[in-house]
Amino acid sequence: MSSVASSPERRGTIQSVERAARILKVLARGSSRLGVTEIADQLGLAKGTAYGLLRTLEAQGMVEQDPDTDKYRLGPAMLQLGNAFLDNHELRGRAVLWADSLASRVGETVRVGVLNGSTILIVHHVFRPDNSVQILEVGASIPWHACALGRAIVAYLSEVEIATLLADGPLVPLTGRTLVEPDALEAALIEVATRGVAVEHQEAIVGEAEIAAPVFDHRGRPVGAIGVVGPEERLHPDGASSSLVAAVKETGRGLSRDMGAGRLAARG
Amino acid sequence: MVRTGRTLFGMAEPATSVDAALIRRWIRDAADEIAANRDYLTQLDAAIGDADHGINMDRGFSAVVSDLAAADALGPGELLSRAGSTLVNRVGGAAGPLFGSWLRDAGAAMGDGASVDAEDVLRALRAGLAAVQRLGAAVEGDKTIVDAFVPALAGFEKEVRNGGSLSAAATRAAEAAREGARATIPMEARKGRASYLGPRSVGHQDPGATSTALLFAVFARVAGRSG
Repeated sequence: MSSVASSPERRGTIQSVERAARILKVLARGSSRLGVTEIADQLGLAKGTAYGLLRTLEAQGMVEQDPDTDKYRLGPAMLQLGNAFLDNHELRGRAVLWADSLASRVGETVRVGVLNGSTILIVHHVFRPDNSVQILEVGASIPWHACALGRAIVAYLSEVEIATLLADGPLVPLTGRTLVEPDALEAALIEVATRGVAVEHQEAIVGEAEIAAPVFDHRGRPVGAIGVVGPEERLHPDGASSSLVAAVKETGRGLSRDMGAGRLAARG
Repeated sequence: MVRTGRTLFGMAEPATSVDAALIRRWIRDAADEIAANRDYLTQLDAAIGDADHGINMDRGFSAVVSDLAAADALGPGELLSRAGSTLVNRVGGAAGPLFGSWLRDAGAAMGDGASVDAEDVLRALRAGLAAVQRLGAAVEGDKTIVDAFVPALAGFEKEVRNGGSLSAAATRAAEAAREGARATIPMEARKGRASYLGPRSVGHQDPGATSTALLFAVFARVAGRSG
């Protein structure tokens, strides 16, 4: 998140577009409504430049100005873009039926995630089918190392990619049990690759466990992961529930085939 | 609520030590208070969590109260430990393990004496906070139990160091816990499900910190009257 304010210049990129994108990211932080001066200060821009960018974004519906306070906030076009992202997401599109069927079969929450930098972005979430109040986690970001979805994907990346992620430290603990030592995580990833499934036990949220399987595309690349998450007493009573592990692995294989993965790639 | 005044006509006086009877009263009153605030706690949780905090806490403390009868001859520390184990074993979600380990470790730190003083309570609170942080890895500012617990412990310790009574220390802790819980409103959560929401967790009071403040408030109340 801290990269928002000071993205390094990259060759071949257009400065004003980058600045506009940074404005949107700043406005996406918090319940923030910011004035022109605050935005200019946060991004290190001249006030006139920030104003021109904001007016342009406003004309596109991407930001809007509060008529009472003159402060800017994200505009309605952003919701359309967000929805379009989800609608056009191939993995999500193909995962919907698999996720529903897994959730109703095992009676637990099902989530589908993709790796975005060093975090898992939840692109689909099926509520636990018990009529309880739950919050939608689509759009949530979870550090890859603390969740089973993340480990299920990362375990199948190249050695170079894994080394880069492990070196991107220090890795933050989300609970007292979160593995953050690169060596321990590397061992955990090897186990994931051996078993074809990732298990996380109270490492993301105290009292919860998670079981996830990788999803591969036609090139055999891990494009995402699907898994169940819930109370440890049901998912991980005395080690991971073997029936849940089997159901999750089966779902991961089926979804991989849907994504065009060959039999060899839909391993696990 | 400050109840340090002594009265002449047989009304309760502030406790100077913690015995089994006081812990039993604390458990019963805490259970009542949680039951009364069940929906409020659940609403807080619905904004940033799984909307089960009030339900889980209520279920847990009800189980602890029902277990009291079977825990007849226990001292204050043993009672607390037993209550903690009941919470850990019977309550789902994060609340059971976190509040349960707090009470279990606090009880163990009190020892098995029939009555403990303010220094012992201070030691117990420290052990409780350490248990919560060991499990949750949370620090101040993460929008968790810790944000109410740390100021409460500091307030309690300061009052004890200044020669204040157990009751005065408990009152000060309760005030600090309440302030701490309120201070979680503008925070962005960095632990628990709320942290998945990122910036959207801002603007909501943390349910765990709220329950923590509630437990300290009830302790101040029961320590303010020994009878």
